[in-house]
This record gives sequence, C-alpha cells and structure tokens, in this order.
Amino acid sequence: MSPGGAGAPAAAGAHPAAAAPLAAATPPAAAPPAAANHPAARRVLALGAAGLGALAVVSGSPYAAQRAHVDVEELSRTISAEGDHVTALDLARWIKDRKPGLRVLDLRDQAAFDDYHVPSAERLDLTALAGARFQPGETVVLYSEGGGHAAQAWVLLRALGHREVYFLRGGLYDWVAEVMNPTLREGATEVEQKLFEDRAALGKYFGGTPRIGAPTPAGESLPVPKKKDDGGEGFTPKEDAVRRLKKRGC
Amino acid sequence: MIDAPFYEYGAFGDRAALLLALPIGAAFGWFLERAGFGNARKLAGQFYLRDLTVFKVLFSALVTAMLGAYWLGRVGLLDLSRVYVPETFLAPQTVGGLIFGVGFVVGGLCPGTSCVAAASGRLDGLALVLGMFAGALGMKVAAPRFAAFYESTPRGSFTLPALLHVPYGVVVAGVVAIALAGFAGAEWLERRAR
Repeated sequence: MSPGGAGAPAAAGAHPAAAAPLAAATPPAAAPPAAANHPAARRVLALGAAGLGALAVVSGSPYAAQRAHVDVEELSRTISAEGDHVTALDLARWIKDRKPGLRVLDLRDQAAFDDYHVPSAERLDLTALAGARFQPGETVVLYSEGGGHAAQAWVLLRALGHREVYFLRGGLYDWVAEVMNPTLREGATEVEQKLFEDRAALGKYFGGTPRIGAPTPAGESLPVPKKKDDGGEGFTPKEDAVRRLKKRGC
Repeated sequence: MIDAPFYEYGAFGDRAALLLALPIGAAFGWFLERAGFGNARKLAGQFYLRDLTVFKVLFSALVTAMLGAYWLGRVGLLDLSRVYVPETFLAPQTVGGLIFGVGFVVGGLCPGTSCVAAASGRLDGLALVLGMFAGALGMKVAAPRFAAFYESTPRGSFTLPALLHVPYGVVVAGVVAIALAGFAGAEWLERRAR
C-alpha cells in the first residue's frame, strides 16, 4: 500500500452519517458531506498521490526484467575464466553427490523433455526466464540441446542479477556422449584407461552404457585434455549425437 | 527479493487462497457499505451528476492500487509480470458492458453493491443478487450456443503503457493527474447540483 493513497477511498467516500458531525464544524450542516469532511487529510492524500505519481515518471519500469543490467566487463571476465559453465562430468558428479541447492533446468520444449532429460532436471521455458525465481543458495545449471540457448539464458539470468548460474557445456549432446556413453578407444593409453573407468562408473550410476573398443566416430575422442568450448555443438557432431540419442530410445 | 504475488510464488495453495478471499471480500463489502453504496439512490445520483461518490471512491481505489502495484514492483517486492491481466474480446465485452450498464441504470446497483444492499437488508439488492445468479446460471447453460461469439474479436492482454507506447511511470503520473482533476471536477459538479 502506498502511504499517499491508502486512505483515499475511505476519505473520499466516507459514509454521510459518519461524516455529519465533522462536516458541521466548517460549512453549514446542510452542505454536501462528501465535500466537507477532513479537508486537511484530503489535501495530504492528494499531495501524496501527486508526489508518488510524479516520482514514478523518473523511476523507470516496475518490471524487474526490464531493469536487467548487463555488466559487460564482469561477464566477459567470468566467461574468460571459464566460470560460466560446467562440463557434463561436473554436472553428473554434482547430481550424484546431491550437491545442496542444485537445480538443473532443461530449456528444451516439452516433447523433447518428455523423451529424455538429465535426471533431476526440471523444464523451464526460455520465455518464462524473466519470471523464474531462485532461492538464495541455489546453484542453477541450464542446458539445452547443443548449448547455444543455455549460454544465452546464462547471460540473461546474470543480467537479472542471479549469480550462481552455469550452463552445461555441449548441452545434452555432451551429457549423452560423456556421461551416458563414454567410449574407450582401441589402443588407449593408461591415463585414458583410468579416466574411462571413472567415467564408466559414473555413467552406470545414471543407467548409461560405457563402451570399450568401439569405433570412434570422427571428431570424437576421449577429452584429455578437453577441447575449449566453442558454443557446444562443435565437440560432438550433432547428427551423431542425435543418432545415439535415438538409438537409446530417448 | 520478489515475494509477491504470494499465490503465484506458492506461498499458499488453492484452499488457503479461497479462505483468504473471504476476509478480503468482507473488507471490500464493508468499505462499499461505509461509502453508502448499499443505497441505489446514491448510486443512481451518479447518472444525474448530483452525487459522484461512486466515481470518487472507485477512482481513489484504482489510483491507490496503481500506485501500490507500481511502487511495490519498483522496489522489487511484487513481480508485475505475474499479475494476471484479463484479455480483451472486443465484441462480446462491448455487448456485456452494455447489458451491465442497462442493468446498473435500471436497478441502481452493480454486482458488488447489490450484494452489499442485500446484506444490509434492502429488498431491491436481494432481487438483483437473485437475478445475477439466475443470469450466471442461464449463461452457463446457454454458453455452448454463444461459444463462437464469446471468443470472437480477441485482442489479447493490454496495459496502457504497452498500448500507448509510453513509459510505465508516465502513465502512472498521467492517471494520478486525471484522477485529481476528476475529483476536483466531480465536487464542482456536486456543488452546482445543489
């Protein structure tokens, strides 16, 4: 309630019977009661409303989403320091370890979500982003199919002032390739072997099927060291990831 | 941090919302009664420009709610994007408005004030309340026949800032200015009528 207007209806429309004794003090008793009661209070309310109204002209939009603020320098530093995303393996570990306050948000459409989604994920439409509400202490991980939408949504949520937000690098394709179906190529080194075992255990936890000695499609190998993110879709060929998603019945 | 609308943000469920509607409705009725709106003659005075209490009370309420919504949104306590804005259906709402207006002039009461009149023991209020429920029931039964018209000429949700392409704050200031000028004008008309 605004202080200027809170009492306005009651003051402007006070019941004639209740107003009569007060009205009698100033004009003659026959005067219209509505026009005569509490002149000082009415003036204060009118001035209050006028003041709050005038101030509104220079106070900007009342919609939080329209007041979003982008600190380009800070965001570019975060991106450069790779503090904007998590890898599929990081996310898998967070989910497995039940990281407190973790919220995984799937930005794809309902049909895609119903077909398959990262365990524990909830769906959030991109257009509902402005109204999304997060509790203090929550860590938000956004993902989309390839990663493009999630990265854009990351910028928007940061602009809205949410700080603990990350997107899944490589999107659902990376999740499927690295967590659900980790592959050990033939002739792998010992380091690769060790890494594969870790990932295979993680994949099995999520119901995946690690593969040993499977022919490695072009462009895909064990990511040691990991290739720098280029928006997500360059890491695993899209068609191949889709094919494998379909093969899994997802 | 944004907390309101409380219902939208899950502060309470459907049941609590219904229970809360009761005291809010009672308070609404109380203020309508205290404003003298249980009396059809007082309301009819509006149409003869003798007694503009209805205009003053309802416009005051509108300005209060508008300033409250604007400033609560501005300080981040209310998420205005979650506040429901009813959609416009031009033709059916025009017809509905005309029926409402005719009913208001003939009966001297609108839906809310007819309840207030009935509750304060006025028979005309009771008759209008019964008529209102009969009309609502009749409409529900006849709705399928009017379905096409009922959903015709949809125009979506409008807010004045979006419609006029002016900043929200300017509309707020403009409505306040119109209200204050309107109140002054209304009282001038009332003095002249006496």
